[in-house]
Amino acid sequence: MPTRELPEKSEITIIGGGIVGVTIAHELAKRGEEVTVIEKRFIGSGSTFRCGTGIRQQFNDEANVQVMKRSVELWKRYSEEYGFPFEQTGYLFLLYDDEEVETFKRNIAIQNRFGVPTRLITPEEAKEIVPLLDISEVIAASWNPTDGKADPFHSTTKFALHAEEFGARLVEYTEVKDFIIKNGEIKGLKTTRGTIKTGIVINATNAWAKLINAMAGIGVKIPIEPYKHQAVITQPIKKGSIKPMVISFKYGHAYLTQTAHGGVVGGVGYELGPTYDLNPTYEFLREVSYYFTKIIPALRELLILRTWAGYYAKTPDSNPAIGKIEELSDYYIAAGFSGHGFMMAPAVAEMVADIITKGKTDLPVEWYDPYRFERGELRGQALQMG
Amino acid sequence: MRPLDLTEKDPSKKVTIYLDGKPYEAYEGEKFPVAMLANGVYWLTTSSEGRHRGAFTFGPVPVTVNGVKNINGRKLKVTDGMRIERQTYTDFQEQVEIDEGKPVLQYVVDVAVIGAGPAGLGVIKEIGGRLTTALIEEKGWLGGDLKLKGVKQEGFGDPKEALEELTELPENTRVFLGTAALGVFDKGEYFLVPAVRDDQLIEIMAKRVVLATGAVDSIMLFENNDYPGVFRRADALEVINVWGVAPGKKVAVVGAFPEEITAELDRWGIEYVVVPNPKRVEGDDRVERLIDWNGNSYEVDAVIMADGRIPDINPVTQAGGKLRFKRGYYMPVLNSQHRIRDGIYVAGSAVSIKPHYANYLEGRLVGAYLLQEFGFEAEPCVYEEKLKEYEPIARPLPRLPLDELSGEDVQICGCGVTLKKVDDVVKSGITDLQIIKRLTHLAMGFCQGRYCLFNGALLTSQRSGTPMDRLDIPVARPPIKNVKMKVVAGRD
Repeated sequence: MPTRELPEKSEITIIGGGIVGVTIAHELAKRGEEVTVIEKRFIGSGSTFRCGTGIRQQFNDEANVQVMKRSVELWKRYSEEYGFPFEQTGYLFLLYDDEEVETFKRNIAIQNRFGVPTRLITPEEAKEIVPLLDISEVIAASWNPTDGKADPFHSTTKFALHAEEFGARLVEYTEVKDFIIKNGEIKGLKTTRGTIKTGIVINATNAWAKLINAMAGIGVKIPIEPYKHQAVITQPIKKGSIKPMVISFKYGHAYLTQTAHGGVVGGVGYELGPTYDLNPTYEFLREVSYYFTKIIPALRELLILRTWAGYYAKTPDSNPAIGKIEELSDYYIAAGFSGHGFMMAPAVAEMVADIITKGKTDLPVEWYDPYRFERGELRGQALQMG
Repeated sequence: MRPLDLTEKDPSKKVTIYLDGKPYEAYEGEKFPVAMLANGVYWLTTSSEGRHRGAFTFGPVPVTVNGVKNINGRKLKVTDGMRIERQTYTDFQEQVEIDEGKPVLQYVVDVAVIGAGPAGLGVIKEIGGRLTTALIEEKGWLGGDLKLKGVKQEGFGDPKEALEELTELPENTRVFLGTAALGVFDKGEYFLVPAVRDDQLIEIMAKRVVLATGAVDSIMLFENNDYPGVFRRADALEVINVWGVAPGKKVAVVGAFPEEITAELDRWGIEYVVVPNPKRVEGDDRVERLIDWNGNSYEVDAVIMADGRIPDINPVTQAGGKLRFKRGYYMPVLNSQHRIRDGIYVAGSAVSIKPHYANYLEGRLVGAYLLQEFGFEAEPCVYEEKLKEYEPIARPLPRLPLDELSGEDVQICGCGVTLKKVDDVVKSGITDLQIIKRLTHLAMGFCQGRYCLFNGALLTSQRSGTPMDRLDIPVARPPIKNVKMKVVAGRD
C-alpha cells in the first residue's frame, strides 16, 4: 500500500487507519466523497492488528442485533467482492446452568425477531459441531451458524485498497498533533507531516479517542479508556479442528477458535487497566491455559507459541460512541468499541457515511449516542466477548 | 557399531526401537534423532507443506510415540521397544489424559542466571556463594557451547578440563538442568522467572536476573536448505562430541566460519569438503549432493552450516531490552554496568560474539557488578580491562543472491515459509517487518523468529535499501520458549 503525501486539503478527514477508519473511508469514497485517512503508523496497525477475528450477531439488545445483522450482510458481500476470507463458521456459546439458559433464551428471542437464526441446541449437538469439546458440564448451547470470522489485517488491507480505488487517500506514518479551529468551525489539522485543510473530521482512533477529543477541545464527557486484553496462539493443528468461535462465560469468559493457518487463537476476560501498556503478562498465560483446557482438553498437549496484548477501548456500557458532536461543527466520533469493533466496522461505516451524506440512517445509531454518558443514560451492557 | 557411530556405546544399554515398524539399534538414554542418525536415518517428520525434514536444522520434529501423537522428537529419549511413527506437523493427540498436573515449585533467590554456558558459569564463579543463585539451563548439561567443543579453546586450553573447573559450583547454587525459562516478568519487588522442567512449572523469584542466554546459529539460505541431512553448526557439534555419532560418512562444511567445524571433523577423522558458496542441495528428499555457485557438485550425505552465530535477541527484548545493530548483528543496548534495564544484566554471546573465554570473563564482570550491588567488595574493573583484549567478532553481512535463487526451494523459516513468499511481499513495497511477519508468518512459528527474523531483516534491508539499524525489529513475546498448555494450566 502506498504511503501517500499529505494532501493540502480534503473535504473529510478521518483520524485513525484501523478497520473502523478504513471502512468509513471506503464507504464515503464509494459515495463519491473526498476523504483522507491519517494514520500515525501503518494501516491496520493498532487494535485491528491484535484483534481476535470474531464476527457475531449474538447480542442482547435490539440495536446491536440489527447493526450486526447488517454488518454480516456487508462482510459477506465485500469478502466475495474483494476476495478476502470471511467464513461463516458460527458462534457457539456454551451454557452450564439454568440461569444462563434463561438469559440466552431471551437473547435468542431478540435475535430471532430480527432474522438472526440463533437456536438453543443440546450438548450433543454442540459436540457434533466441535468434536473436541468437553461437554460433561454443558447443559445447552446457543448456536448461530451465520456468525463467523475473518482475518482482521487482510480484510482491513482489502478495504483500504478498494477505498483508494474509489479515490480515498490513505496517509500512513503521519500523526495528528492539533486542530485548527476558528469560531467553532474546523479549518484544518496539524500533523507531523504538515497541515491539511479540512472541514469535516471523524475521530476513529478508538483507544486513543480521548486524546483526539482533547485536541479538538470537546467538552462533552465521552469516557473511553484503553484496557489491556491479551490473546494466545498455539502450534498449528489439523485444519477444521475448531471451526466456530467457542465461548464459555463459566470458564473465564473465554473465547477460542482456529485460525486459517491452523493455530488455536483466543483469550479470556482477564482485563488490566486503564493502561496503554501492552506487555503480555504471566498471569494471563496461566489463566488462559487453565480455562482453555477446561473447555477443550486436547489443548493440554499443544504448545503455546506466543501471547500478545491489545486494547479494548472501553466505555461504561461497553457500547461505542458513534455520532456527531454538536459543539464543534462537523466533528464526528466512532470510537469506544469495547472489544467488538472489528465485527461492527462495515455497518458503522454505513451509519457514519449515511449521517454525513444524508443526515440520517436507517440503522439504530441513536443507541450509540455520544451524549448518553453525560445524560446518565447508559445502555444495557453490550455483550463484551470475542 | 552402527554405521555412523564414532565411539563404542555401552552394550548394557543396548535397546531396540522401531521407526514406522522397522527395528533399529539404539542405546537407552539416547535422544531419538541421534539414535536414528547413528543408523543413517535422517528423515523424521513431514512439514505442513509435505516436505521431509530432519531434526538438525530449524522446524519442529513432532512424532507419534507408542500411539501418542505430537511428541517433541528432538527431546525424546529412547527406551527399549519404543514404537515411533512419522507424522506431519499438524497431527495432534485428540484424546488426552486429564490429570491434576504436577504442583508448581517455587524458589526465592538473590540472582537468577538464565543460561549455563561459560558466561553463566562465570557469573556463578564470581559470586562464589556470597549470594543465593538459581542457574537455569535448557540443555541437559552445564557448559553451553563450550561443551560441544573437543579442540583447544583460546584462553581455556582443553575444553574438558576447563569445564571441570567451571562446573564446581558453590553449595547455594540451585541448578535447574533441562529447564527452559519462559521469560522475565517484573513484579516490582522482584523478578519472576517461570521455567519448565519435565512438564513441571517452576517459579523462580529473584532480586536480580542475568541473561546469559547465548547466541544462535545463523541459518543459510540455499535451495533445499531444510532437507534431512542439513545441520546447524551446534547440532553437528552436539552429535559428534556429546553423542559420539558422525553427521555423515562424507560431509560438506558451508559458510564463512568453517574452521570451528573442520577442526572437530579432523579430530574424529570424518571426511569433509569445505564449500564456501552453496547454492543448492539435491537428493531424493535428503542430502545426496551439494552444488555451489560455480556449478561444482559434491557427493555428500550431510551439509553443516557454519556461517557464524548471532546473539539470541528474544530473551533480551521480552525482558524489555532495546537493540542496536553492530558488527553484522543485533545486540542488546547495555548501560555501563552491562544492564538492559534496572535489575537485568546480560553477559556472554547474548551480548556479542567472541571466544568462550571472553564470554566467561564477561560473566565474571557481571558477577562483580552484582556483588557490588549487594554491598560486597568486588573489582569489576579487572574484568573490564581483560575483556578489552577481545574485540568482538564481526560477522560480514551476507549478500543474498535473491534474483538467482529459486525462492520456492529456499526455506527462510522452519514452519514452511519460503524465501519467495517473503521476497514477494517485500518486492510489493512493504518494508515494515511487523507487516511482513503478519502477511507471511515469518517469525510466528515454533522458533519465535530465532532462526528466521534476521534473514527476514536482511532481505528487507537488501531489497529496500533501508539500513539494518533502521528496521523495526518485532520484539519477542512470552513464552520465549514453547510450553505445553497443561504445564501452565494448573491451579494451586
